[in-house]
Amino acid sequence: MNSSYLIQRLMHAILVVFVVSVIAFLLGSFTGDPVTSVLGVDATPEARAALRMRLGLDDPLLLQYVRYLGRVFTGDFGMSYIAQRPVIDVILERVPATLELAATALVFSLGIGIPLGVIAAVHHRKMWSSALMTISVVGVSLPTFVVGIFLILIFSVTLGWLPSFGRGETVRLGGWETGLLTPSGLRSLLLPGFALAISQVALVARLVRAEMLEVLRAEYIRFARARGIPDNRVNFKHALRNTLIPIITVSGIQLGYLLAFAVVVEQVFQWPGLGTLFLSALTQTDLPVVTAFLMVVACFFVFTNLVVDFLYALADPRLKMGAKA
Amino acid sequence: MKLRGTLILLATTAVLSLAQPVMAETLKFAGTTAALTFDPHSTNDFVTTSIVRQVYESLVELDADMNPIPGLAAKWEPVGESTWRLTLRPNVKFHDGSVMTAEDVAFSVKRQASAALYKTLFGNITDAKVVDGSTVDIISKGADPILPVKLTRLFVMSQKWATDNGVATVPALGTQGTEAFSLRHANGTGPMLLAEQIPGQKTVFKKNDAWWGTFKGNLTDAVYTAINSAPTRVAALLSGEVDMITDLPLQDIPRVEQTPKMSVVDGPQRLFMELEMDGTRDLALATTDKSGQPLKANPFKDVRVRRAIAHGINAQLIVDRIMRGKAKVIGIGSAPGFSGYQADLDQHWKYDVDLSKKLLAEAGYPDGFTTTLNCPLERYVNTDEICKAVSSMLARVGIDVKVNGMVWPEFAKMLTNGPNSSFHLIGAAGNSGDVQDTFVAVMATRDKSRGQQNWAMWTNPQFDAVTDELVKTLDPKRRNELYREGLKIARDNVHAVYLHQPFLTWAMTAAVKIPVRADSTVMLQNVEIKR
Repeated sequence: MNSSYLIQRLMHAILVVFVVSVIAFLLGSFTGDPVTSVLGVDATPEARAALRMRLGLDDPLLLQYVRYLGRVFTGDFGMSYIAQRPVIDVILERVPATLELAATALVFSLGIGIPLGVIAAVHHRKMWSSALMTISVVGVSLPTFVVGIFLILIFSVTLGWLPSFGRGETVRLGGWETGLLTPSGLRSLLLPGFALAISQVALVARLVRAEMLEVLRAEYIRFARARGIPDNRVNFKHALRNTLIPIITVSGIQLGYLLAFAVVVEQVFQWPGLGTLFLSALTQTDLPVVTAFLMVVACFFVFTNLVVDFLYALADPRLKMGAKA
Repeated sequence: MKLRGTLILLATTAVLSLAQPVMAETLKFAGTTAALTFDPHSTNDFVTTSIVRQVYESLVELDADMNPIPGLAAKWEPVGESTWRLTLRPNVKFHDGSVMTAEDVAFSVKRQASAALYKTLFGNITDAKVVDGSTVDIISKGADPILPVKLTRLFVMSQKWATDNGVATVPALGTQGTEAFSLRHANGTGPMLLAEQIPGQKTVFKKNDAWWGTFKGNLTDAVYTAINSAPTRVAALLSGEVDMITDLPLQDIPRVEQTPKMSVVDGPQRLFMELEMDGTRDLALATTDKSGQPLKANPFKDVRVRRAIAHGINAQLIVDRIMRGKAKVIGIGSAPGFSGYQADLDQHWKYDVDLSKKLLAEAGYPDGFTTTLNCPLERYVNTDEICKAVSSMLARVGIDVKVNGMVWPEFAKMLTNGPNSSFHLIGAAGNSGDVQDTFVAVMATRDKSRGQQNWAMWTNPQFDAVTDELVKTLDPKRRNELYREGLKIARDNVHAVYLHQPFLTWAMTAAVKIPVRADSTVMLQNVEIKR
């Protein structure tokens, strides 16, 4: 393992987080005026001035930024203007909901995408298999919120099977609020999880299909077939196993996408996660929350990318020789 | 026969209620946003206040028609120039069992008057003094004739509870540290107890059996959830997951009405939409002649142009088509539900394209001009469509209007950091619901103490004189004359083009009966559930 390569990746990650922190800090001043959103449009000029003063909004931007960074380094993200609570609490309590949703969506997208891809690869000469792939593209191109509303219409309003909003009953495990341990919590996960997964299913299916076609041409597969091992066993045991390695990598990257799309899905299903928090903070010009959210998401992306890089470095000996950024 | 039946029914109910515990009746209802906090003095958010109102009560209450009636104060009378004397309702208990005292009331008045968010409403209160065990004097800087109406927003909390839990003063925003105790906990006197508050998500209530009032409904529990996305909120109602929703989108009304066992109710609210036009600048912003050259003057300052715009807009059509009938056309700067509203004066300008063109020509704009209408999106009902309709109606009289839609934070910033707009659509609400507030905040000339929300920068000396007298006058008869005078001056000079008062629309299942209130509060003690 070449340490200079990793150090380079790490420096790169720090740079990204720094740039995001600047953008996140500036973004707030474009959207609205925090004082107006806290006090309303009918506040007296004195009350407005007093609040601006107390929040330090009259200081030069650079000074505000430096002060902000200093606080962040001590783990203090400040107080939310609107929720009137420490930002760190507001964000942390929303993390479990979003992660459980993203994980569910990941399971769905792999659970549906992998079999689809395998079938499409095995029968790649047949008309219906390419039709299947074409249909799967439709899944990608449908806007997520439309899918969400449709699912609600079918499964909640018409059939009355599944809840249309919220997380159902949750259980506290230490600091983690989970919906995975109650029937209503699990039922609540199905629709949003599926709505979030549907855009990813096609991606997974296409990737599996491409890899699988590659593998199916390999010597050892032909050899296995020649030995008279049943087709299913060849396809799903020997071939799929070698197909999965790139899939695992893609799953890591997918988590990032899932988090991004979760904002839309959470809004549709009123899922109490980071996405709904972010949107309401934006509409209320709750600057500390908006900034902290963007920082958290940036750190998450950078971290997953680092891990992926690291795993590649382990897997690919060429990276150990010379660093390629 | 009928009486006998009733008696038998009553007897059976009595026996049954002795025989078994009261059935739990839970109302699940949903609105657009969640309650931010349960500290009644540290929020003036409309939705939060309507949720907090179940647990904390105000000194003065409102009846169904928005008239002030006794609340925690049984009586109020002016004493001298600047004092209101309140006689408190006896035997009121807080949820922790302690009795409400005059000290609690004085404490609450001072606590709320010092809150940053209530400077506009209660900033003139200088002191609250305990006279005796059941009497409190509220003293303000100068006269405050509408203080009783304002007291419908003054909530009483227990002094001891607040002191014991470190919230004797309103938690100041931006001060470091942890969340205030009053954010999730409450100790009010109201008909409902706060069982659980999850900030930003949901609120759970329990019936307060020790409440001093009479329950008109029969519910024992209630759960309020925020469902921000309108289609999801409607779906939650249609699928039976909630019993009632507020803010039903207009386009979903037919859908809900056609669903069996569902009903839609509507009612007026203290809000009206108006088009405001720049009354101060010498050159209007984003306004030119048809070829894009600057104009010599600000056309909006000419009352003939204002009248041309008023006659050139078909407000009834906007109500019928865009508001689908769920609004009332208005012609004065007030609406039903406001104290001081004058029904007989409420005549909208006649829709008359020819008159409008004639007025424009008289004012020196025979070819009209080009301007920009700033339009707030998503805060009020269907504003986007209203702005587009206004634009196409004015095009017919020769005024080309470009619609500039903005999300609310951006729009609000434009107003408060300026106002940097010469022509915009906005909703006027008035802080306490008295027309005097509309005069002082929205129509009076902008200066240090008045016209905080006069975004039109409209100015009229006669009107200001009326306002000056009104804020000092206690005599109801004289006040009424002044209301009428002020509303007339504002309309004759087209302070703004008044459009309509949007209705509140609620939807509910047949199992529940909930009367609509103009301040959009679901009064849980009046909710009847029949399953």
